[in-house]
Amino acid sequence: MDLQSVILNLLRFWGERGCLVQQPYDMEVGAGTMHPETFLRVLGPEPYRVVYVQPSRRPADARFGENPFRLGKHLQLQVILKPSPRDVQALYLQSLQALGIDPAVHDVRFEEDNWESPTLGAWGVGWQVLLDGMEITQFTYFQQAGGLDLKPISAEITYGLERIAMFLQRKTSIYEVDWGGGFSYWHVRHRDEVELSRYAFEVADVELLRRHFEDWEREGARCLELEDPLVVPALEAALKMSHLFNLLEAQGAISTTERVGLIARVRKLAVRTAKAYLAQRERAGFPLLATSQNSPQGKEARA
Amino acid sequence: MSGMFLFELLCEEIPANALPGARRQLAENVAAKLQEAGLGAAQTKVFSTARRLVLWLEGLPPATPERVEEVLGPPVAAAFAPDGSFTRAAEGFARACGVTPEELVVVEGPKGKVVAARKRVPGKPTPEVLARILAEVVSNLHFPKTMRWGDGAHVFVRPVHALVALWGEGSLTQVVPMELFGVASGSRTWGHRVVHPGPVELLGTAGLATYLERLRQAGVVVDPEERRKLLGEAAAALAAEVGCQVRSDPQLAEEHVELVEFPGVVRGAIEERWLALPPEVVVTTLRHHQKCLVLEREGQLAPYFFAVCDRPDDPEGHVRRGNEWVAGARLADAHFFYHKDLETPLEELARKLERITFHAKLGSFAAKAERVAKLAAALAGKLGDEALVAQVTEAALLAKADLASSMVGEFPELQGVMGGVYAKAWGKPEEVWRAIAFQYQPAGQEGPIPPTLAGAIVGVADRMDTLAALFSLGEVPTGSKDPFALRRHALSVVRICGEFPLPLALPELATWASAPFGGQVQNLAEFLRERERFFLEWRGLPSPVVEAVLSASWGVPAEDEARGRALAALWQEPAYLQLATAFKRVRNMVSKEGEGRFAPQLAQEPAERALVERVVAVEGELAALVAGRRWPEAFRLLGELAAPLDRFFTEVLVLCEDAELRQARLGILAKVQRMFLQLADLAKLQGVN
Repeated sequence: MDLQSVILNLLRFWGERGCLVQQPYDMEVGAGTMHPETFLRVLGPEPYRVVYVQPSRRPADARFGENPFRLGKHLQLQVILKPSPRDVQALYLQSLQALGIDPAVHDVRFEEDNWESPTLGAWGVGWQVLLDGMEITQFTYFQQAGGLDLKPISAEITYGLERIAMFLQRKTSIYEVDWGGGFSYWHVRHRDEVELSRYAFEVADVELLRRHFEDWEREGARCLELEDPLVVPALEAALKMSHLFNLLEAQGAISTTERVGLIARVRKLAVRTAKAYLAQRERAGFPLLATSQNSPQGKEARA
Repeated sequence: MSGMFLFELLCEEIPANALPGARRQLAENVAAKLQEAGLGAAQTKVFSTARRLVLWLEGLPPATPERVEEVLGPPVAAAFAPDGSFTRAAEGFARACGVTPEELVVVEGPKGKVVAARKRVPGKPTPEVLARILAEVVSNLHFPKTMRWGDGAHVFVRPVHALVALWGEGSLTQVVPMELFGVASGSRTWGHRVVHPGPVELLGTAGLATYLERLRQAGVVVDPEERRKLLGEAAAALAAEVGCQVRSDPQLAEEHVELVEFPGVVRGAIEERWLALPPEVVVTTLRHHQKCLVLEREGQLAPYFFAVCDRPDDPEGHVRRGNEWVAGARLADAHFFYHKDLETPLEELARKLERITFHAKLGSFAAKAERVAKLAAALAGKLGDEALVAQVTEAALLAKADLASSMVGEFPELQGVMGGVYAKAWGKPEEVWRAIAFQYQPAGQEGPIPPTLAGAIVGVADRMDTLAALFSLGEVPTGSKDPFALRRHALSVVRICGEFPLPLALPELATWASAPFGGQVQNLAEFLRERERFFLEWRGLPSPVVEAVLSASWGVPAEDEARGRALAALWQEPAYLQLATAFKRVRNMVSKEGEGRFAPQLAQEPAERALVERVVAVEGELAALVAGRRWPEAFRLLGELAAPLDRFFTEVLVLCEDAELRQARLGILAKVQRMFLQLADLAKLQGVN
């Protein structure tokens, strides 16, 4: 199965199970969790179900397109089910069938792997899912986001798309993965991996990155200090800070001591944004509480 | 007493490391509550899989025994009127307890005599009691990490899906109603997630064996012991097929037992070309990501691995092929790192340590390496020649270089090992690369000490530097708080000194290691003494003996251990216990009254003269034995003072009127004390027995 079929099948599968099919966030983010469709929607009492692909940037993992397993930008397929349904593991196993994997003849294991994002003030408990020894999914019950205890609890399912495609196609390099339509991953992405690596490790202007980190910190704070706070722009500022931080780290420009301080500054903005979002939804009377019965999210589609 | 009870909690996958503790708590806490309820005779069995906690009880009566409960009432003075009749207070109390005033008894309360009512508390149906006990014990189980799920109303280790609570006599005939985490009890559980995903009805189960068999048919081996056995047998058989053995990894094997519901093993092949990688890299790569065991043939890695899977079979070969593919991919990845690292000379990697912080207030690992090299050189100068000094200096300067390598970035558990591999690859002398490779051995009680002298010295110097550095910042471990594992580091130092052995004194080590941190670091020597005490007890010496020996002198673990062994062979002999008693009197006397003045010519009474003669006679020989470290003979020689000392204390009044004579008698005792304290403070043997 080619990469684009993996994506299409998973989007369709979850779309048919009440998930809104969303689009990737149009900014550099480190993980699908940072998309407001996850980071903000998991806050508060309103139910929600969503699925989207999120290209995720990890500049420090970039390898100039030389390493067969590592990328500076990879694709995550993210599912949020809020509240986490009782049969969430069974649903997940069904989703594997949509990829042509019949769990009945494979080894599927859920091994403890908890997740924490210090920059988002978020953590969760869960597993990595191993299919015949391969980690293909991260499965998390969010406990906290933006420093706030969550209730209800959301289940987050994050599929590592390149891994899954490699595994299904038995390829020994990401770049050999068949993307679709006769194109390999190399054709589609190799050149930007090389360039993003060079930029992250060699070219990025550390002074500029530091300056912009400060700029966006101020800008984010300004958005929240308005009488009617601007939540999404504030979150975007935090996301920019997070990405700038990652670039600085790839450059080796951050000492261990400084690292803690910079993370705390991003978290501070993320936490304030989360609170502002919650207040905004509360003022609006948590509208999705009322509509959840009729919306696509309300349907409990079962196979 | 034919009542039996089954409790099964089915949930989502519980972390492997939480299960042994959960089983232990379940068994202990249920047993304690059964005892309290008068059901202590029941046999208890506890099992678990990754998805369930199971308790089986049998030998239960249908109801708990009737109890008599004593309820304390008002004091006697308030309970009886002067004429001996009951007061209204007493009558009211009796009524509240459901007895007549005549049935009240007088008992001793915490604040004097009171009246009390003996209430008969009738027994309760056992199932009802069990439901209460299980609800209480299970909801109070302690896990390393807990979570909420769904509406967020409940907290447990993982979301709970079903509860089975069944009771019966002869077979399980009735559901015991209870509720935990919003789930009501029933008679059904569910089978293995993919092998048998449907429900399993347990009503009518005739006994434990039937329950285990039903679950097994549903793809679940409930008993961890049984899973351990199945795994061991399957692995041995698959290894034998290819003429290999499993490379031992007890910790991983234990984890495998907890990871699955039905243990299966598949054997995968490794491409021969990956065996050109250092064996540690192959083993760690497969272990780290896939929790795989590797196979060996005649001590060499064989091109096979074992993956443990959660199913009994591999019907279409997917499990084996999948694991082989992953193993190949991971090994290719490791190969990439390994060769990338080898492009950079070790010295250059070591320079990158300037950017890796050892501690925010203490600078980089490069600075640490400099300090360790200096300390190691000083120790080597004391223990060996110039060649040794050169070896330990080079090893110490390069020891942490691998922290800057990609391989250790990927597999932190390979630190040290990779340093050794790279140092060897770059042509460093054997003494140097081996010292680097073994620098983290031992990890406290775990594992052997470094096999070479240079390795032992570097290991001691590195840890002493860490200890002195953190102690200088006041990072002293307290209670269960020891974030930098300083106890483990200190024990490793003591173990290396004691087991290698190195003739180094721990207090001196503390002083030397303290030098870069502005002189003697507070509390460090005491901390090492405490670890030495732990070490000697860990080596099997009784704790009074350890205290006796260390109170005399401490700090050279190998010698202190030899002294301890000599004393341990004697200390429980009656004559020696007598000697210990006598010595305690010596110590008390001298510490209270002073050391007097040794004047043998003043000795008057026969007992006094006899002691002086013995002391003078023994003194020289004892000094020679101590100098020759001949501890068993030395302790036996001390034993010869037992009788004269006893006689002395029986017949002689030390604190006599004559001041000069008193000083002389104290002088004899002080001399005896000094002689003893070359070996051990026998007074510490006392008070324990």
